[in-house]
Amino acid sequence: MQEQELKQLIHNATTLEALEQVRISLFGKKGILAQEFAKMKTIPNEEKKAFASWLNNLKATLQEAFEQKHAILSAQALEQQMQSEAIDVSLYGMLPLKGALHPVAATMDRIIDFFVSMNFSVKTGPLVEDDFHNFEALNLPKFHPARDMQDTFYFHDGMLLRTHTSPVQIRTMLAQKPPIRMIAPGAVFRRDYDLTHTPMFHQVEGLVVEEGDVVSFANLKWILTEFLHHMFGDVEVRFRPSFFPFTEPSAEVDISCIFCQGKGCRVCSKTGWLEVLGCGIVDPNVFEMVGYHHVSGYAFGLGVERFAMLLHQIGDLRSLFEGDIRLLEQFR
Amino acid sequence: MIVTRRWLEEFIDLEGIDNSTLYDTFNRIGLEVDRIESYAIPRGVVIGKIVACEKHPHADKLNVCQIDIGTAIKQIVCGAANVREAEYVAVATLGSTLPNGMSIKPVTLRGIESEGMVCSAGELGLPQAEDGIWILDESIGELEPGKELQTYTNINDTLIELELTANRGDCLSVYGVARDLSAGLGIKCKPFEYKQKERFLLGIGRKAEFHIEGEIHASVRYKLADIKRVNIGALVKLRLAFAQIEYKDNLDALLLYTTHATGVMLRCYDAEVFRMQEKFRVALRQTSTGKVEVLGKNNTAVSMLGAYQQADAKASEATQSVLFEAFYIEPEPLVAAISSEQIQTDALYYQSSRGSNPDLYFGTCYLTCLLDRYCQIEWYEGVLEHRCEIEQQKIVAGIDKLSQILGIKLEQRKVAQVLHALGFDVRRKDHDEMVITSPLFRHDIRNVHDIAEEIMRIIGIDAITSKPMRFQERMSQDDIVDRYYALRALRQRAISQGFFEHISYLFAPKAIHEKYQVVSLDSALELANPIAEELNTLRTTLAINLLSALKHNVNHTQKRIMLFEVGTVFDAQRNPSEKIAFLYSGYQEPEGVRNSGKPRAITFDVFVSVLQSILGPMSFCNTTPTNDLMHPYQSATAYRDQTVCGTLFKLHPKTAQDLGVFDTYIAEFDVDALLPSHINAQTISKFQGAYKDLSIVIDKTLSYDKVHAAIQQIKNPLIKRFYPIDIYEDRQLGEKKSLTIRFFIQSDTQTLEDAQIDATMKQVLHVLQESIDAQLR
Repeated sequence: MQEQELKQLIHNATTLEALEQVRISLFGKKGILAQEFAKMKTIPNEEKKAFASWLNNLKATLQEAFEQKHAILSAQALEQQMQSEAIDVSLYGMLPLKGALHPVAATMDRIIDFFVSMNFSVKTGPLVEDDFHNFEALNLPKFHPARDMQDTFYFHDGMLLRTHTSPVQIRTMLAQKPPIRMIAPGAVFRRDYDLTHTPMFHQVEGLVVEEGDVVSFANLKWILTEFLHHMFGDVEVRFRPSFFPFTEPSAEVDISCIFCQGKGCRVCSKTGWLEVLGCGIVDPNVFEMVGYHHVSGYAFGLGVERFAMLLHQIGDLRSLFEGDIRLLEQFR
Repeated sequence: MIVTRRWLEEFIDLEGIDNSTLYDTFNRIGLEVDRIESYAIPRGVVIGKIVACEKHPHADKLNVCQIDIGTAIKQIVCGAANVREAEYVAVATLGSTLPNGMSIKPVTLRGIESEGMVCSAGELGLPQAEDGIWILDESIGELEPGKELQTYTNINDTLIELELTANRGDCLSVYGVARDLSAGLGIKCKPFEYKQKERFLLGIGRKAEFHIEGEIHASVRYKLADIKRVNIGALVKLRLAFAQIEYKDNLDALLLYTTHATGVMLRCYDAEVFRMQEKFRVALRQTSTGKVEVLGKNNTAVSMLGAYQQADAKASEATQSVLFEAFYIEPEPLVAAISSEQIQTDALYYQSSRGSNPDLYFGTCYLTCLLDRYCQIEWYEGVLEHRCEIEQQKIVAGIDKLSQILGIKLEQRKVAQVLHALGFDVRRKDHDEMVITSPLFRHDIRNVHDIAEEIMRIIGIDAITSKPMRFQERMSQDDIVDRYYALRALRQRAISQGFFEHISYLFAPKAIHEKYQVVSLDSALELANPIAEELNTLRTTLAINLLSALKHNVNHTQKRIMLFEVGTVFDAQRNPSEKIAFLYSGYQEPEGVRNSGKPRAITFDVFVSVLQSILGPMSFCNTTPTNDLMHPYQSATAYRDQTVCGTLFKLHPKTAQDLGVFDTYIAEFDVDALLPSHINAQTISKFQGAYKDLSIVIDKTLSYDKVHAAIQQIKNPLIKRFYPIDIYEDRQLGEKKSLTIRFFIQSDTQTLEDAQIDATMKQVLHVLQESIDAQLR
């Protein structure tokens, strides 16, 4: 056969399998080239050299053609294999496999992070409380309007569900001596159930006590301003005098409305301000009740649901307690 | 507490003070503004004088009025019944537009032309002062037909609603608010001018007598009058409407108006309830519990100061002789008396218990002026009176202490000035201390901190520069913080496995606990005043509330529900413990192309593998259900390091059907049992190890944990780990099953010979044969 025909054999192979057949027929032990080489024995000596040279050239040429072809077909085969592995990656996005923290719990985490970084300790206390820790020790004498039976859940044995996290302050002060830097996060309970009240909600309460006349309202202003900037970013902070039985002087703290930047909108009732905190200098009567003398301190408290609702623009308080995935999955 | 700007101006001059300054000042001094709203009557609404009023010829309910509007007499048809009693009214003239958007145009009503509209207060954008149209009188100013109503400053007013804190009973009146505002603005209150009438019927002593039985801790002041006709003006009606005060009749209205204006507690009696022959005999008695009762005929109590009044003792506008009573009683003893006897109280109790105005002279004078102005009334001269001297609080306060509390440098002179403006008396004791006497109306001021608050209110919190605190460095973080962060990491792992965090109420329905035989609180320890039936007990498991969230989600067409909750539960004795619970219901993975939209339902093995990705390795034992939520054959006790850490189960199919939910798995763990414990590392063997499988045949009913325990018992150090890899049952095996266990055998000290490995496996087999009757397969 002519060189050209042999080359054509290689060229005609369209698959790696066909090429392999060609390889065997050309280069195999009984292949065409082997047969040609076998002729060497019968060829006269004087022609041997030319024949061998021709045959070696032919072999080299064919080998080169074979390798080229093999490379092409391998590449094609790989391409085909890869094509068969093609995936529409766009089918696999948004696979909802991750859950989410509850916005109230996540807000609580963020609040705790701030105060822990300010070297506040975290304290806890029982949910089922007695009258002394929940009311009396907090300068809420019997018959005080804030002790209205309507607001408190009582048990048949006279115990009650804590109405605020403040009893944790009392328990901490009774258990240890000043200095104290603590927060008490947790669930609290009020007998109130409507659009804007749930019978359970969460508070974070803070208390700082130092020996001597050290702690001032100016210090309270500083920490709460820092805290509100941590939570809400660049907002204005306003303090207004107010009243709480266990602090004196007391104040409520507002931030400039984060929805309208203080211009006035529906959320802030057109005032431009959102009330977010209550605070004050601890009333000496409270220290008296826990047997602290010559100390000074401040305390503050906030509602976590309120923070969560403001931060994430959640409109319906009660929806926070339904476990509705349509709400929760937004916080993935 | 609702006040209006014009009403305040009765007591304080607010000229030059705009509403935004008022708003800022109120907030600054601690009287939080809930609402501030200005009312302006639109142009074109004028005073009209009704010169004639006849019934509409074709409509029963309409009246045809001829009304003088200054420039002309207009015919206007009016539907309000009270137009017949009116002389002066508000007329919206042609071309004017009312706040509700209505434009006034000439119309024909049942054949009669009408050129304008007679307005109610509501139609003018004001609160509805009375039913029907608003009848005007001189109380709003001089009435001049055709004069624009918007020029009457008294009725184009600004409403300010204040949210008062519980200690500020002194601000429950317009005067009280004005007094606090005067300190805030640095403007003195106007003196109250009172002119006594010159004509009287008789001296009050000729008609009435007054008896005090024993010691009375209250002040009272009585005036007696004969009334003929009681009217109230348009302005009184409007302001009562602004303040949202409802009244029974005109006399009631004037009393309520006076109390709202002055803060003095007032009642009126039909004097006949005190009749003793020719005279009225009024007596006061104080009970041992501190109640102060007013006694009528036969010494029966007709009222209790600050608490109630018998209905039949109350004067109405039809009463002839009326005894007016002003009183002050100290809040604390009143509240104690009321609470100890559980007395039903009326509206006056709220203010009395928070501290009413003790200035009874002011209250009675204001009332007298008002009655003289609006009513036909004749007074008896003089008063019946009892004054109780109440000791004023004296507080010694040092300027250094006050400065320290607020964190700014204060001066005695400035402090005295502020306190004077608030009605306190201040005497300088030395360069530091002052003796401060608080006025009677500030019964809430008790100590130096209260004084600090007063100073802070008036100088403003803005005057205090915030300062970081200096404190001794001391590590505050403790086990509770560690625990909190461990739990937080656990919550993060839960969400990475697809769970959503749920927060439910601490409450649960007792009926559900009972229905499913779930432990519930002992009845002696139950909630005494639950808020709703579905929240009438404390939860003893997180499962019930998770199930109710599950149902909520199923109702909203969710097919794959994964929830977890961290929270407190209680046992029957109400001892609390903190749990973390997981609920996995419906599809085990989201619908998608990989499952052709039909994922498999959640199964036990998937549930526990997800749980172990979150909580770490644990082992499980079959357990007998303790309630009807649990599937009898898929319930387990979970162990961590050989200690019980929780329970998990498939929801009982019957309960699932009951609730209309899918296949559901629930697990509940003790948080404390899941917290990370301290770990010491073991040396890792350097020598080759080998895997060996062992297949045995055992009783079908024998659970794997027994096999596991038996192997563990051997305590052979070469058995590094072992785990079940296959379980097989068929008919041939009958009551038996085949179990394959894979062992990893390794020595810490040498490369093991085959013989050693075989010996180990033989030992295992031998032990299993002996202890659980296992056969080699």
